[in-house]
Amino acid sequence: MRAVEDVSFAIAAGETLALVGESGSGKSTVGRAVLRLEEPTAGRVRFEGTDLATLTPRALREARRRMQIVFQDPFASLNPRRTIGASVAEGLEIHGIVPREEIGDRVSHLLEEVGLDASFASRYPHEFSGGQRQRIGIARALAVAPTFIVCDEPVSALDVSVQAQVLNLLLDLRTQRGLAYLFIAHDLALVHQIADRVAVMYLGTIVEIGPARAVIGAPSHPYTRALVSAVPEPDPTKAKTRIVLEGDPPSPSALPIGCPFVTRCFHPAKDARCSTERPHLRPVGDQQVACHCAAPGDGAAST
Amino acid sequence: MTTQTKFGLGLLALLTLLAVVGPLVAADPNAQRDLLNGTLQPPSLAHLLGTDEFSRDVFSRLASGARISLGVAVVAVAVAAFLGMVIGLAAGASDGGLSGLLRRCIDIGLAVPRIVVLLVLLSAIGTVPMWLFALVLGATGWPAMARLIRGETLRLRHAQFVAAARALGAPEVRILWREILPGALPPVLVAATLGVADAMLLEAGLSFLGLGAPPPAASWGGMLLESRSVMAVAPWLVLAPGLALVAATSAATLLGDALRRRLQPDAK
Repeated sequence: MRAVEDVSFAIAAGETLALVGESGSGKSTVGRAVLRLEEPTAGRVRFEGTDLATLTPRALREARRRMQIVFQDPFASLNPRRTIGASVAEGLEIHGIVPREEIGDRVSHLLEEVGLDASFASRYPHEFSGGQRQRIGIARALAVAPTFIVCDEPVSALDVSVQAQVLNLLLDLRTQRGLAYLFIAHDLALVHQIADRVAVMYLGTIVEIGPARAVIGAPSHPYTRALVSAVPEPDPTKAKTRIVLEGDPPSPSALPIGCPFVTRCFHPAKDARCSTERPHLRPVGDQQVACHCAAPGDGAAST
Repeated sequence: MTTQTKFGLGLLALLTLLAVVGPLVAADPNAQRDLLNGTLQPPSLAHLLGTDEFSRDVFSRLASGARISLGVAVVAVAVAAFLGMVIGLAAGASDGGLSGLLRRCIDIGLAVPRIVVLLVLLSAIGTVPMWLFALVLGATGWPAMARLIRGETLRLRHAQFVAAARALGAPEVRILWREILPGALPPVLVAATLGVADAMLLEAGLSFLGLGAPPPAASWGGMLLESRSVMAVAPWLVLAPGLALVAATSAATLLGDALRRRLQPDAK
């Protein structure tokens, strides 16, 4: 069984690519494979020009100074037996970034940078709320001064009011530190705020990728159109057609031969080719779309 | 510090006092005072805890037995916990062949009754000095510990905070030591405190079979077993070592619990 297949994208320095899709679409697997926290059976990840798969364990550890991850679950991502200070100091110690006697100072700085009190360093994770823990996780990632961070649904486990605060923190850090993000999410409204480009995943493949404005403003792939139509519209006077998909996604162990979306597709031009031939990404409008039928302007009607 | 912890520390202090100072101030534990009239005397001012069926002073024997019983139990549990920790961590953290091999070793260790292994080993060695006895006891006690640590290691190695440490570039040994071991320890501490009681009772049984502390040396387990036949007429002979064993195991349990709470700041 393949969780993820045929996924290819590039992220420029300082750029944010959002990876969107429903649960089980393989977004997190991609995020972890990018950092080689999970070994892909095939495929390559190049970071700053080097293929990560060719690195020795030592060189890979060195490369990890520059790419970090912020996890979804703020309760599982901090070791309950270690103080906040110890967790944040971990990267500093591993890479010997600052002399031992300056670690405490640096940890205080990092905690303040993510909006926490420096005195929290001696406390344990269970004393903090989800939002605070997520900030701690961010401070831990920032400790090694990375240029690229995989944000694996960093706010989806948080209360809505806290989501905005953590999202703003990520935006501020991006400006201050020139960070590039791979922002994994299932909420398009959120993605709209943070992403330069958006990639939409369905059942382990990218079905649409392009500038955020194009993908969210004029979605082309039927699946993206359905996703975009589900975003709540704050303006009640605005007309809005909601596309409701029928059925469930097929089991990843028994994928359709042709287009993975064929079982739920509502495109009027759907034909036999869709169930026999797998579509590959091709330019449609400003974005790349993996659909035989999609045409520029398809999505205009749905938004 | 909770009341329980204080109580445990108090018990430990009393037992240590008994083991360290007791034998220095008490009479010769092996002196048979008056085999005609002095046997099975109830507690009195002359003999605080009475005398046994050979007219030996029970308090003296209790004090000298404290050294053997407590010493053997602590050393045995420390050895078992150390071996179990190393083997269990290795079994849980390794992959493939090594992991399978270690798992089989643990299973075999658990499957063979400890008492049988001890009987064979101890009778093969012959006369056993007490330190070797404690080592042998510990060397047969590791599989239960190893199984616990292995299970915890397997659970924790997939934890998200381990992935976070790996993403930070932590070498595997550091991950085992800093991230996994602290989480795997609490259940081991519980097992170790129970192991102290277990080791004392094993030592008692083996002493009874002539494989532990050889007579006339006193150990609490040995005293308990010797006094079995006269329990109805001289209950103090059972009560003295029995209560001492209860005190020792209580102290171990209470302090183990305190330590566990300390290592597990989120559990209340």
